[in-house]
Amino acid sequence: MKNYYNSIEEFNNVPGQEEEKFEKEHKSAVLELFEDDIAKKPSSRRDFLKVFGFSVTSAAVLASCEKPIHKAIPYVIQPEEIVPGKALHYASSYFDGHEYASILVKTRDGRPIKIEGNTLSVFNGKGTSARVQASVLSLYDDARLKAPLSGNSPISWDLADREIINSLADINNSGGEIVLLTSSIISPSTKRLIAEFGAGFTNFRWVQYDAVSYSAILEANQQVFGKKVIPDFRFDKANTIVSFNADFLGSWLAPVHFISSYTSRRKLDEGQNDMLRHIHFESGMSLTGSNADQRIPIRPSREKIILANLYNKIADALGKEVFDVPECDLDIEGVVAELLGNKGKSVVVSGTNDTSIQLIVNAINLLLGNYETCVDLDNPLNLANGTDAAMEDLLKDLSAEKVSALILYNVNPAYDFHSSEAFVAALSAIKLSVNMSTEFNETVGLCKFECPVHHYLESWSDAEITPGQLSLTQPCIHPIFDTRSFQDSLLTWSGVQTSWHEYLKNSWKENYFPLSKQSGFEAFWTGSLKDGVYAYSGEKLKSPEIQYGSIAAALESVDPGQEEGFEVLFYPSVSLGNGKHSNNPWLMELPDPVAKLCWDNVAAISPMDAEELGILTGDVVKLGENFSIPAFVQPGQAKGTLSIALGYGHSQAGKVADKVGVNVYPFAKFIGGNRKMGFSISQIEKSIDKVELALTQTHHSMEGRAIVRETSLSKYLKDPASGNELHAKHESNHQTLYPDVKYDGFHWGLGIDLNSCVGCSACVIACQAENNIPVVGKSEVQKRRIMHWIKIDRYYSDSPQQPMVVFQPLMCQHCDNAPCENVCPVSATNHSSEGLNQMSYNRCIGTKYCINNCPYKVRRFNWYRYTNNKAFDFNAVSDLGKMVLNPDVTVRERGVVEKCTFCAQRIQETKLAAKLEGRAVADGDVQPACVQSCPSNALIFGNMNDKESKVSKMKADPRNYHLLEELHTLPSVGYLTKVRNVEE
Amino acid sequence: MCLLRKSSIGYIILLLKIMGMNLKFAGKSLSLSLFFIISTLLFPLALFSQDTNSDSTANVSSHETSHEDLIRGERLFYGLVYQGDKSVNCASCHNTRFVDSLNWNPNAHDISVKYKDKTIKDLTTVLMRPRSEKMAQSHKNFDLSETDILMLKAYMDEFAVKGLKPEKAIINRLIIFIIITLLVLVSLADITVIKKFKYKWVHLIILLGGGIYITDALVKEGLAIGRSEGYSPDQPIKFSHKIHAGQNGTDCLYCHSSAETSKSAGIPSTGVCMNCHLIVRNGSRSGAFEIAKVIEAYEKGEAIDWIRIHNLPDHAYFNHSQHVGVAGLSCQECHGPVEEMDRVTQIADLSMGWCINCHRDKEVSFHDNKFYEVYRDKMELMKKGEIDSVTVEMVGGTECMKCHY
Repeated sequence: MKNYYNSIEEFNNVPGQEEEKFEKEHKSAVLELFEDDIAKKPSSRRDFLKVFGFSVTSAAVLASCEKPIHKAIPYVIQPEEIVPGKALHYASSYFDGHEYASILVKTRDGRPIKIEGNTLSVFNGKGTSARVQASVLSLYDDARLKAPLSGNSPISWDLADREIINSLADINNSGGEIVLLTSSIISPSTKRLIAEFGAGFTNFRWVQYDAVSYSAILEANQQVFGKKVIPDFRFDKANTIVSFNADFLGSWLAPVHFISSYTSRRKLDEGQNDMLRHIHFESGMSLTGSNADQRIPIRPSREKIILANLYNKIADALGKEVFDVPECDLDIEGVVAELLGNKGKSVVVSGTNDTSIQLIVNAINLLLGNYETCVDLDNPLNLANGTDAAMEDLLKDLSAEKVSALILYNVNPAYDFHSSEAFVAALSAIKLSVNMSTEFNETVGLCKFECPVHHYLESWSDAEITPGQLSLTQPCIHPIFDTRSFQDSLLTWSGVQTSWHEYLKNSWKENYFPLSKQSGFEAFWTGSLKDGVYAYSGEKLKSPEIQYGSIAAALESVDPGQEEGFEVLFYPSVSLGNGKHSNNPWLMELPDPVAKLCWDNVAAISPMDAEELGILTGDVVKLGENFSIPAFVQPGQAKGTLSIALGYGHSQAGKVADKVGVNVYPFAKFIGGNRKMGFSISQIEKSIDKVELALTQTHHSMEGRAIVRETSLSKYLKDPASGNELHAKHESNHQTLYPDVKYDGFHWGLGIDLNSCVGCSACVIACQAENNIPVVGKSEVQKRRIMHWIKIDRYYSDSPQQPMVVFQPLMCQHCDNAPCENVCPVSATNHSSEGLNQMSYNRCIGTKYCINNCPYKVRRFNWYRYTNNKAFDFNAVSDLGKMVLNPDVTVRERGVVEKCTFCAQRIQETKLAAKLEGRAVADGDVQPACVQSCPSNALIFGNMNDKESKVSKMKADPRNYHLLEELHTLPSVGYLTKVRNVEE
Repeated sequence: MCLLRKSSIGYIILLLKIMGMNLKFAGKSLSLSLFFIISTLLFPLALFSQDTNSDSTANVSSHETSHEDLIRGERLFYGLVYQGDKSVNCASCHNTRFVDSLNWNPNAHDISVKYKDKTIKDLTTVLMRPRSEKMAQSHKNFDLSETDILMLKAYMDEFAVKGLKPEKAIINRLIIFIIITLLVLVSLADITVIKKFKYKWVHLIILLGGGIYITDALVKEGLAIGRSEGYSPDQPIKFSHKIHAGQNGTDCLYCHSSAETSKSAGIPSTGVCMNCHLIVRNGSRSGAFEIAKVIEAYEKGEAIDWIRIHNLPDHAYFNHSQHVGVAGLSCQECHGPVEEMDRVTQIADLSMGWCINCHRDKEVSFHDNKFYEVYRDKMELMKKGEIDSVTVEMVGGTECMKCHY
């Protein structure tokens, strides 16, 4: 068996941050709940009597208080579709300027409380990402702007409109330029509206700006194919993927879309016995790199030379023109052979924002004929439309005071633009500046007018993610604050009387209704709203001749890259993305899938460099003037590189995000027509400071027992049970004195395919939203008190230089022979006749015996009351933040144990629906939140008594095993061994 | 001395106010006794404390009307001005205090508020020549002079501000509890410190009897904490289930329409009331006054703040559709004979024991619903005749996570 480890400290067998602290804490842990000065004093019998007397008296006084009078307030006129106590689902679309998803919004009593994927969508299906799951909480963000502002003083919409309209007219009459700066817009109706709005002025410019830019891909495709598009990568059609720094499973472009197509070719069920092979070149340890079959750490500056050599070797083999490029010492023969063997069935992709690199990538894909199949230019992804040069030009014009009016929408250049200082300075000189933002952010307050816009759950919109794939966004709640949609503002300012809702309807009536061949528009409209998606086949753009000129130019100017010093690379993290949603406490406390770190960003450093420089995890390092950041020793990090997550270090975004981590956007640079997310330094300075990071990797550890089982594809094909030999052995050992328990009716079980799980963490947030799981904050996370009911364990194996990684979702295993149950002195946890390990909060007295006796460490203790507690002021203190709570799930009190319930409320709900309809519960009807959110279908839930159910078939698979099955706990959760597509 | 008396009474009233709810529907609450003990201790303090506020708050609207007018208006309202056959006691029909029983007539506060902004002429019309049949009957032979009505109006205007007086406390059991507690304390004191009383056996009787009584009271009251069996609060509108569901025979589901399909049975929206009350404007018991409240709320688009009677704690999940829709229970099994209640009273204590007991005995309609086919073993046993019915408990109906999650 391989040696698995959680951290570099564990690998080196030295105490890590966690263990050191644990040693220290052990001595004084008893009275930790009290303030320090109380804890120091010895407590006596008299103290006990005092406390006892006080509690008895207060209990008596409390009991004698007035009983609260509960009101039952009905509607005056009840809307037809609303039944109190029943959830309503609305189809809608999520788009935040960066990521897109077609979704269903679950509302209870008029409040959106949960986001699910829209199964009718061909783009993302039932899957969602953690960011999409958490977006419902952003709706109830206290920090949001609540009304329009003029400068810093409140203003009415009417007055603001009048002033803006007059000002725009003045500027237009004097020939001044009016600029609209927005995030990427993928709504076709909004694009039409912007065109109409712009047509009203003589001098109008529309600039789209992305915080994390994909400009180079657009540029390269423009130069080669004459199309300024981002192709869709069809991983489901590929046999080989060679990726360079593209974190397509984590945060690059459309992760949910890519995860579902990627994992569809990594499964080994239903007779499928081949897998795509994934080779990944990268500097930092990304989620995608962790899933690769072969991962090669490289310096970012070496990417171009490797790609050029790759091109030459393939071209050579195919008898095409070879360019004169420097030799590269990396052995890439295997990659070349792999790609040549899968011509037309492979994808080469790069996530680096460098046009020449993207040109070479295009050249390789052209050589291999991948554009016919796996790289789809005809159905491009309509995401990230911003070009970096356009933004640079705008900055130049702003600084030169050539722009008279600037209207900002959904952008935050004061935070995420590399020349933010110049931008902010230029803003003050502009005659008219208007900012339209949903979130409270650094740009708010810099413009003359703040016209806050609705949250997407409050607004109308549409989206066209790929040509012909339309979806609608509809409001699911009445606007909470005095906000107005961006489009309504544009309509008002262009003097049009129609509302945006009407405009959108008309836009669909004119453009898409005629294509639908339906008889009535209203039926077409309500049908599209109900489904959330609508597909039509539009005309394909004719591709012009392919231009090889720019490719040749790119290949002729390849530099050998940097060998000395350090290269720093920035990346959007899986949890916070580009930093737009940093004030979302769920996302802030979501541990990074690989580093297992939350509430901070760090500079990930390679173990070799760390050893050389004597840097340990938590040491603060200096990367230049005013740039200090804690280091984190990351296995797999390329030597000579440092990776830092974007999205942290906000100064004005709300109580959660402010002053957490370091903002690295200002260190990005505009080089060669593109924004480069990174820089180089000659050396790192280690400071004497040390910080404690909130690392969850060693929390609730299973102490290194055989919990991950893996094999290779070749071995699997010979013997499906390979790597899982222990299972048969332990099964044969299972003996018991007790009679077998038979489950009549339901016996719920969960199957987890380790091959499909990529570790995207959508399930973690889905579970948090569904089950009212509290956010506990950084210091509590450091004390190992994170409350997540499901966590994704990450294990490394092999050398820290080139580790292999396994992700393993872990939740309550619902053991049929549960060790927690028989140690509970009050029977607060016991077993149900449906195989659920039940937890009754009101019985629990908090002895924590169950936590001690659980071999899987999946039980969580409420050390504090996290609701209505000022010390945990994240989202469960204000009335607004609490609106996200699921009314079907109890909010736990201090002092009780909680854990995964298999979403008992959903099981009960589904059973009841079946009873009311007088039918049996069908397989797949019950979907716990984690299962429903999973983009890769790695989790399957069902009734194990039904031999035809998917979960039963999974349990019968030779790859199936249970965690610590030698303990005879008989878990209801089963895992399928991980199969890697490697030669062994 | 008058001042002192006033302040001490005010003190007690304040205490009673704090006790409000308990006093009202559990007049014998133990908790009240606790407060009473404290209050008796504090009583002398209150007697000697200076009260500066009592007089300044007494005459709220003395600017427009003289104090004498108010006094006379009050006496008129209570029927204390002798006018021979003509004397009327308004307070005999229109409560001036909170009461525990149901009075169909609008209380003094309600009418005061209603006529506060209306003219003397309006008040005269409604007093002497009311349009509604019911009122015409009760206001028959009213003969009030214009000055009388003026003074009445003055008193009513003041009443509209002051609100109803608190309920008269019923404290029988409480007095017994206090007396027994004091007796026990005295006898304990005699045993330990004073040692004056010769007949020691009396102490034994007092301590034994008192002990039993106090324990009994503590246990009973302790068990009742958080339960409100018999809770029957006054609703903002005197809606009678007896008239609607009983006499008129309206189906429960007409108003509580989601009981069969949803978790919540649903409180009817005002719009549902208006289905009938667009036409029906006169009640047989309350006249036009109560129905007018519904119509007014509907026209203004305001919600009616009904007081919720059946409250379950937040950690207990209850679903009406499971019980009404699937199991086909009648509403009365849990809510009692609502169709006989003018004012709804909580019949069951809604305790967990009450739920569980029912789940242990109730049979599941095993053969009528295809859902239950999943329980193959039980189906088999039934076929064999080894069991003749399946209770809720047998399909897991008494397990924790069926109601708590």
